Amino acid sequence: MELRNRPLTRRQFVEFAGLTGVAALSSGALWGCAAKSGDSGSAAFNIDNADWSAIVAEAKGKSVSFYGWGGDENRNKWLDTTVTDALKKDYDITLKRVPMGINDVLTQLSGEMQAGAKEGSIDFIWINGENFYSTMQNGYLYGPFCQRLPNFRDYVDANTEITYDFGKPNNGYEAPYGKAQMVLLVDIKKTPTPPSTAADFFTFCKANKGRVTYPAAGDFTGTAFISCLLASAMGADQWKKLTAMNANDEKAIRDLVEPGLKYLRSLNPYLWKNGTTFPADSGTVYTMFQDGELVLHMTYDPFGWINDVKSGLIPDTTQSFILREGTVGNTNFMAIAKNAPHKAAALVAINEILSPKIQLSQYETLKTVTVLDVSKVDSNTQAAFKSVSLGKGTLSLSELLAHRLPEVSGGVITLIEKLWTSEVVGK
Amino acid sequence: MLLALLFAYGVLNGILQGFGIMPYLGLTTPTLEYYTEALTRSDLISSILFSLYVAAASSVLATMGGVTLSAVITRLRVGRTGRLASVQIPIMTAHTVVALSVISLFSGSGLLARVLNSIGVIGSQADFPTVVGSSQGWAIILVYLWKEIPFVAFSTFAIMGSISDRFSEAASSLGASPLRTFFAVTVPLSSPAIAKSFLIVFAFAFGSYEVPLLLGSTLPRALPVLAYIEYSSPELLDRAHAMALNGIMSFITLILAWLYLRIIQRERRGR
Repeated sequence: MELRNRPLTRRQFVEFAGLTGVAALSSGALWGCAAKSGDSGSAAFNIDNADWSAIVAEAKGKSVSFYGWGGDENRNKWLDTTVTDALKKDYDITLKRVPMGINDVLTQLSGEMQAGAKEGSIDFIWINGENFYSTMQNGYLYGPFCQRLPNFRDYVDANTEITYDFGKPNNGYEAPYGKAQMVLLVDIKKTPTPPSTAADFFTFCKANKGRVTYPAAGDFTGTAFISCLLASAMGADQWKKLTAMNANDEKAIRDLVEPGLKYLRSLNPYLWKNGTTFPADSGTVYTMFQDGELVLHMTYDPFGWINDVKSGLIPDTTQSFILREGTVGNTNFMAIAKNAPHKAAALVAINEILSPKIQLSQYETLKTVTVLDVSKVDSNTQAAFKSVSLGKGTLSLSELLAHRLPEVSGGVITLIEKLWTSEVVGK
Repeated sequence: MLLALLFAYGVLNGILQGFGIMPYLGLTTPTLEYYTEALTRSDLISSILFSLYVAAASSVLATMGGVTLSAVITRLRVGRTGRLASVQIPIMTAHTVVALSVISLFSGSGLLARVLNSIGVIGSQADFPTVVGSSQGWAIILVYLWKEIPFVAFSTFAIMGSISDRFSEAASSLGASPLRTFFAVTVPLSSPAIAKSFLIVFAFAFGSYEVPLLLGSTLPRALPVLAYIEYSSPELLDRAHAMALNGIMSFITLILAWLYLRIIQRERRGR
């Protein structure tokens, strides 16, 4: 306050000038560094023409950063031990897991790209859906790379949904990581007959007035659950029509979804707080379910919740179920940043995660559905996949896959979230 | 200095984005499109009103509480430890920490609901009144009060202390009751400090996003939460929407800053 009204004293002027000089020098030095390291990287190794053995040789001794959601302790532990150890032992690569929400990852990635950094800090990312689509659109991803990975070529059936991410072709810019599908959870001791159709679900909410809710649209699980209910209320055929639509057809989408929205509105009076407000994220819903404030939970991890039974977070009378009209599922992926400093190591790491060994371990430890075509792996591994016991209360894999519905594309999802906010909450 | 430059760059970049200038996406022509969209979106009015309401309610209550607390501190000559406990520690706790405590105390499955349930005051957890996630913003206001009452007290009690000694003795020797002295002498003399802290609290409550994000309802959403949701959208174009919302927010805050300067000027002239 005082400073503003007085001219600078001589000492202040000297300080000011000195600081400006230091700032200019240090930013100059930073530019220098960035330019130098960028040059040496590209001159030493040209990844686009390298064959697999050259890529493995280049990757040796490097450390590679893997950015992604870190909210699942079991997965974190698995990545830090099984995957990290395998990479160290087989390829001398150090995996650095960076737990970060996808929105923050994208903010960091786009920030670095906008700043023109030739070498960013992100190597590869756990990514999915509209997040992938917008980064690819903006040219922030490296690729296409899938066909360069031996394990992708050998074990992945590229004629399945794996080439699509939320209805959009991924063109080899992301490699599959695991498959997810939405299931619902109840404690059968408290609610012995879980609903099996959309009509049943309505009756269930009515019977358990105020003790059912779901995360608001915008939360990943929330949006997926809303999709499930919409699909169930609209019917699978109508939903499939929706997955083929483009976000520009706003009017047509509105008309198609309206019966589903009507169904969601009809649930409101029987939901928690009469459907006037919804928990902001699925973590809150899960806490409320554990506390007994709610009788229903939903998760995109169809078998993984069994680990929480083992650790005692939820009772062993918990059971998963789906609505017979269908349940949405998707594949989640790994993509490499365009300015990744260690692209070769990232390719090797992704290839390793796609190996039958790691995919089997992921299925055994985390119960994540594999992205491999199991008929392509050797017979021993096939038998091992078959013998994994999923645990009491889970649905069988074939039951799940028989009712699997695709997710709609990114733009349509955003529109559905907006429609839910304006036409369902509190209506 | 470097920090100031970075800050200025960030602000400038934000303003440019609000007008749709994002060279890295190939957008270089300024447009008012995003401001028009922001100003015409259906939830904007309810969102602004909600933010203003939360800011007004929490700053009015914080000022009343803060002035009272300040009066208690000066009158009872509360010592250092007392001030530490009642003022400094609450000011030092982060808002998010307070927000999480409010959740664990006042939510439907929170401590209070459980205690009331177990002693039979309420029939089930669902009967507990909505505090967290209520569209009246109770939980948000509660969190702000925890920190803003001590803040108001902190910025007024130095002045109040110096006033009470000189003038209140004069007033009481003329026969005024302590309460009368307080409202007729102390409050008017410390009013510039009170008004300034009121404005700071108001501007803060209006512009902060983390507390309404954690404790607010799905609808209406506070203005900063709307901006945050747009900013964190995977669609990079939505940043322009976020920046336009920020522009609207900044405009309202600028009015508050202007009021603040007016108070300072009047104070200077008064001397």
